[in-house]
Amino acid sequence: MAVQRKRNRKTFIGLFAAVLMLSAFLAGCTNNTAETTASDPESKSMLTFAWPRDIGEMNPHIYNPSQLFAQSMVYEPLVGYEDGGELKGYLAESWEISENGKEYLFNLRQNVKFSDGSDFNAEIVKRNFDTVLQNAQLHSWLGFISKVEQTEAVDEYKFKLTLKEPYYPTIQELAVVRPTRILGAAGFPEGDDTSKGVAKPVGTGPWVLEEHKVDEYAVFARNEHYWGELPEVERIKVKVIPDAETRVLAFEKGDLDLIYGEGVINIDTFKQLESTGSYETKISEPVATRLLVMNSKKEQLSDERVRQALHYGFNKQAMVEGVTSGLEAVADQILSTNFPYTSDIDAAAVEYNVDKAKELLDEAGWKLPEGKAVREKDGKPLEIELMYNSTETIQKMMAETLQSEYAVIGVKLNIVGVELTTQVERFKANEFDLNFFSNYGAPYDPHTFINIVATEGFGFREAISAYPNKDELLEMIAKVPQTTDEGERQELYSSILESLQEQGAIVPVSYIKKIAIYQKDVADFKFPANRDAHPFTGISLNK
Amino acid sequence: MTIKIHARLKSRKVMILCSIIIGMLILITLLAPWLAPHDPTLVNLAHKLKPPSWEYPLGTDHLGRCTLSRLLYAARMSLGYATLIFISALTIGLVVGTLSGYKGGWVDQLLMRICDGIMAFPSLLLVLGLVGIFGHGLKQVILALIFVQWVYYARIIRGMVLSLREQTYIAAARISGSSQWTIIRKHIIPNVLPPLAVMGALEMGWAIMDISAMSFLGLGVQPPTPEWGAMIHEGKSYIRSHPELMIYPGLMIMLVVVTFNLFGEALSERYGVKRNS
Repeated sequence: MAVQRKRNRKTFIGLFAAVLMLSAFLAGCTNNTAETTASDPESKSMLTFAWPRDIGEMNPHIYNPSQLFAQSMVYEPLVGYEDGGELKGYLAESWEISENGKEYLFNLRQNVKFSDGSDFNAEIVKRNFDTVLQNAQLHSWLGFISKVEQTEAVDEYKFKLTLKEPYYPTIQELAVVRPTRILGAAGFPEGDDTSKGVAKPVGTGPWVLEEHKVDEYAVFARNEHYWGELPEVERIKVKVIPDAETRVLAFEKGDLDLIYGEGVINIDTFKQLESTGSYETKISEPVATRLLVMNSKKEQLSDERVRQALHYGFNKQAMVEGVTSGLEAVADQILSTNFPYTSDIDAAAVEYNVDKAKELLDEAGWKLPEGKAVREKDGKPLEIELMYNSTETIQKMMAETLQSEYAVIGVKLNIVGVELTTQVERFKANEFDLNFFSNYGAPYDPHTFINIVATEGFGFREAISAYPNKDELLEMIAKVPQTTDEGERQELYSSILESLQEQGAIVPVSYIKKIAIYQKDVADFKFPANRDAHPFTGISLNK
Repeated sequence: MTIKIHARLKSRKVMILCSIIIGMLILITLLAPWLAPHDPTLVNLAHKLKPPSWEYPLGTDHLGRCTLSRLLYAARMSLGYATLIFISALTIGLVVGTLSGYKGGWVDQLLMRICDGIMAFPSLLLVLGLVGIFGHGLKQVILALIFVQWVYYARIIRGMVLSLREQTYIAAARISGSSQWTIIRKHIIPNVLPPLAVMGALEMGWAIMDISAMSFLGLGVQPPTPEWGAMIHEGKSYIRSHPELMIYPGLMIMLVVVTFNLFGEALSERYGVKRNS
């Protein structure tokens, strides 16, 4: 072994030197290119942005690895999602819904042109919907897709969608970034099956893909045919920088104008950059809620008192403040109030109370034996496992905090870090005690969240199986999408969300927020209301 | 001649210094619960990322845990498990190597081809693969490291046994009617062990590095257990504002690995044990 290792070491040193030289050489090259673009007069109106991954194929009808924000730059929906859940016409100026809630008639915007100059009309909308419906299997997660009976181009600027049964969230679902945004005629491949790729990325959106070097960068130029307000910035360059620290360094050096997203840089780094005062920073409204899900199917957690004790037993305020440095806000409701139908929920906030937690556990029969640190019942210790995504720092830190806090009330929390895919699989297969989860955010909620709660095989339905009013709950959830009366719908949502929360299997922890940090010469930055959309609307540069 | 004496003295000094450091490390390992000022896993978010103070001699980490206490407890993990890996790998290697060297023939062929098979892969790659198959966790990492380490010991021991077997005193023992088992136990193993102990000092450094590397990648020790590699990983996000979170455990790893390596080199020089036997 020794000989081999010695030789290995020599080769290693040689290799290391070679890599070092090569990287120095490459670094030299990148510096050069950076300088030339910087001195380019055009770059005065070019905004540079960094993203962890390549933007992927610019196809409005496919999913990963295409990046949502980039798809939303090039393609537009019929209807858009605005702050507070307001639905605004984009490519559809207005729409009418029939009495029975089955027919949707869209009055399309006239004088809209695709980026290649071709016309936008009902025919192309129908062609897009038909293509998507051909692959309905692929898109079945989106509720209305499986309920479409017919698509019809009534006349040049009127498009009609007929459903098999009433489904109220249809309009809201049309606002999602994929798969119902509109591709121009030139983009359709032979046979119209866009799930295999598009011929050309032609959309009606404010941006056009100008240049794309896979895994390096992509440049978007503004769409001179755009029907709405023309963006002030002429170009947006998206650099692919996978590592968070590198993004920060590039930003500090001035190579980037904007960093934006969820968890794109370390929170403490964000705070530190903010404190220097040399940059502008912004924190968004809640985009989703971080939830702690307790599996009531597990024996120990089937008792509501144990679940409540676990809720009373940790200092939510201190944990959220400490772990996220105040970036996220303490959540007292499963869905934050900036989502539709959530403003009227009357679930009591649970205050941190160690004594109450201990009392509840005593009541439930979990007593602390003399000289031991873990509670027992019938000789079995109160041991619970918490699963978290090992690559998500916030989840990991919260898990460690909870473990330390639950030890105080005599609960042994074992924490297990797993990869995201395992986490999702185990959640679906109901192989967990406690798990972190979050709702989906705008424009998916609240209907997608409660739908997931009621659907078998996603984890939630099984997790709430010990609720005494489970059947009633499921019935109510099934009724929601079919409602046509606003008041009735509101009432259903309120009682569903209250009931879910009160029985303690779904504990709201904190509201997840996005961050943005940008150079002082960037102006009018605004967070998109749609969680997945691009943040460049209205942005300007004063270089 | 003078040069030789000088070198001797130097190696002696190195050895004494290394022995002192290793002795201290062993003390730390044994006395961690009494030396550490705090519980290493006690989270206190109100005190996160605090600078050094009387209460927290080396400050606190991102969850308000005492860095010094974590470093001390981590020494336990690293040294303890490195020793475990070394002893287990050595035991397997000793059995396989002796059997293979003494028996020869098809037994030797079979065992050595297995060794070749395992050695054909870079050891780190093999460890990563095994951990990937059997899942994250300290247990899996330790088993994987033992699995890739024993072949090296087996190889060396086989070589030594082969040359020992031809020694006249072994022949004498055989002629006087000792059984195979007695010869192995009484004459071969005692002669093989001392050089292996020297090699062990060198191997400890590697084992500690490997455990830390795996933990750094998030595959080995799972939180909240303190471990140097895992501590570096956790400190990585704070490299700009609190580089000491990475520097302290990094220094500890360096100190331990360098010490064990120098100690091993000095020992082998002194006792004339060649690493490339």
